Amino acid sequence: MNLFDKNMSENTIKFQRKLWENPWGYAESFFIGFGLMLTGFFLEVFAGSEHIVTVSYPYNIFILFGYILVLFVLYKKFADKQLIRWLTKVPASISSIVLITILVMFMGIIPQVPSTNNLINNLGLNRITTNWAFLLILFQFLTCLGLISIKRILQFKWSNFGFILNHVGLFLALTAGMLGTGDLQRLSINLYEEKPSWIATDAQNNQLELPFAFYLKDFVIEEYAPKLALIDNSTGSISQNKGNNLYLVEKDETYFFNNFEVTVEDYLPNAIRFGMRYEPVNEIGAPPAAFISVKNIENDSIQKGWISSGSFRYSYESLKINDAYSMVMTIPEAKKFSSDIDILTKEGERISTVLEVNKPFKFRGYKIYQLSYDDKMGKWSNLSVLELVKDPWLPLIYLGIFMMIAGAIYMFWMGNKITKNE
Amino acid sequence: MTWIDFPFYSSITGFLWVLGLIFLVVSYKKQTLIKIAYLLFLLGWAMLITFVVKLWIELDRPPMRTLGETRLWYATFLPLIGFITYIRWKYKWFLAYSILMAAMFLAINYLNPETYSKTLMPALQSPWFIPHVLVYLFSYAVLAASSIVAIKGWYDSYKGNFNIETLKLADNLVYIGFAFLTLGLLFGALWAKEAWGHYWTWDPKEVWAFLTWMGYLIYIHYRHFHNHKTKQALTILALAFVVLLVCWFGVNYLPVANTSVHTYTN
Repeated sequence: MNLFDKNMSENTIKFQRKLWENPWGYAESFFIGFGLMLTGFFLEVFAGSEHIVTVSYPYNIFILFGYILVLFVLYKKFADKQLIRWLTKVPASISSIVLITILVMFMGIIPQVPSTNNLINNLGLNRITTNWAFLLILFQFLTCLGLISIKRILQFKWSNFGFILNHVGLFLALTAGMLGTGDLQRLSINLYEEKPSWIATDAQNNQLELPFAFYLKDFVIEEYAPKLALIDNSTGSISQNKGNNLYLVEKDETYFFNNFEVTVEDYLPNAIRFGMRYEPVNEIGAPPAAFISVKNIENDSIQKGWISSGSFRYSYESLKINDAYSMVMTIPEAKKFSSDIDILTKEGERISTVLEVNKPFKFRGYKIYQLSYDDKMGKWSNLSVLELVKDPWLPLIYLGIFMMIAGAIYMFWMGNKITKNE
Repeated sequence: MTWIDFPFYSSITGFLWVLGLIFLVVSYKKQTLIKIAYLLFLLGWAMLITFVVKLWIELDRPPMRTLGETRLWYATFLPLIGFITYIRWKYKWFLAYSILMAAMFLAINYLNPETYSKTLMPALQSPWFIPHVLVYLFSYAVLAASSIVAIKGWYDSYKGNFNIETLKLADNLVYIGFAFLTLGLLFGALWAKEAWGHYWTWDPKEVWAFLTWMGYLIYIHYRHFHNHKTKQALTILALAFVVLLVCWFGVNYLPVANTSVHTYTN
């Protein structure tokens, strides 16, 4: 073949190339991708994915370094091989992104819970994240991502800066996230006021003794005021009030519900009924109550009466305003809940802190979260549930995430410079 | 100084912005008028910021708790993002777009005054709330704009006068929108880690956000390596926008929705 012919054949390569001829393009990429997916579904049907072992320390570290090393050697020594060359090219990346998207789309449509449909169950479409098909495609995706990251790092140019941040960041966040699950510890512990607790429960309901104890000094809930609602007597459901939100009960406020003008004449945050009226008391389980007057705008008739949201101790009270409607008071929602705790160590240390939602506390490799409380008891709950999470791979995942954040900012600023400058 | 003063401040802001938009449109013909548009936008913005600051002082807490307050922040930040994008990329219409969006949020607040008293569950009371929602909203807006550009591209190629510049504009918008989408996704992950101890739970909204991200990822890679296959690129962009719409509105109607922490309906 002379030089002219060679040029010709390169220019028209698309038309002359046969399947599996050099270099592999989209047809081959999707062929391989679908092959992986089918293999995965076969494994799913005949082997099942219940026995996929999550690797833990130190094996996951070995796997991470081993994987990166293998990718490095593949790139350095076997870059001329068809398979490796294909993996560093865009058809391989795009096909794996497309196939992951398709598999995740199953997750976005089919609820990920045990199904009555045998096909869904057998193919594992209701457990995509541990599905062989998903894992195999993800493995191909990560291998592409790893190889091109190595390629761009080795041929470092400043113009590749954003590219490296985005690709290496994603590679790190994904691999560390997956390998880290084996070392992730998630425990919950019940604390009762003025009692020390050190027995936590893991996800499988195993009991575990912690190397330190918690002592709950006080559990505090701040609540929003309850809300006023108009309910339909026949269905017991909230009448829509033209799509407006429910109003918070506040003394001397007047609100409009359909044809009713409702004025809150009195509001008691903690009260109990005595005969004809509610009186403020300072007692466990005393619910909020309000004295309201309801004016029917159509016929000017006025009704007055007490309503109360009720609590675990006292029943609620509504005000029937006509055959169709009643006014009720909703149970107050939590605004903020927090635990005032001491952590007691075996060495005799005593660390005081206040835990609150969105404000976890770091202690000896654990992050301690305010999780919940006894919601039947509401603000009178003596129970506070904490969650302890140990995630030793988090720094690596965060490194990946922050690289991607930097990459995204870079991307915003540079925009699509490449196509723009052509 | 409370929300009672909002109609006063917001109507002045709205008036100045609408006036500014008119000058902006006219400035396509007469370039010097753009300066007056800037001035009007900035004056309106100053008015709004005065209101936010005074409200903050009055409430004695950052006004970031209720839906109405959140919208107030959208209205405050959108012009800023519009200006930064304008300074960097010189898309006049984009500046107009962000100002219009901000004005729309002021209008929604004006029409729904009772939303100010809406309670906010403890997990939502986080410093990540505003940045997470804001960058998402912005990325949705920019990506939606890229689709409008794509429709123009389709129409042009149907008419036989397709110009590659159209697709380059779409590219730029996708890059900007995708960058914000990435930020939204990651801010959400960091927030979730602080609030619940999980950074990613495959919640339905998260699944669809991920799918949207992947959709635009395909577009970006395809465009980057197949610069001349414009028809295919436009098709990918259209499909990605469909996924975006599912993520934005559609999730609530899917069979998986009832397990989501991202549904806002009761």
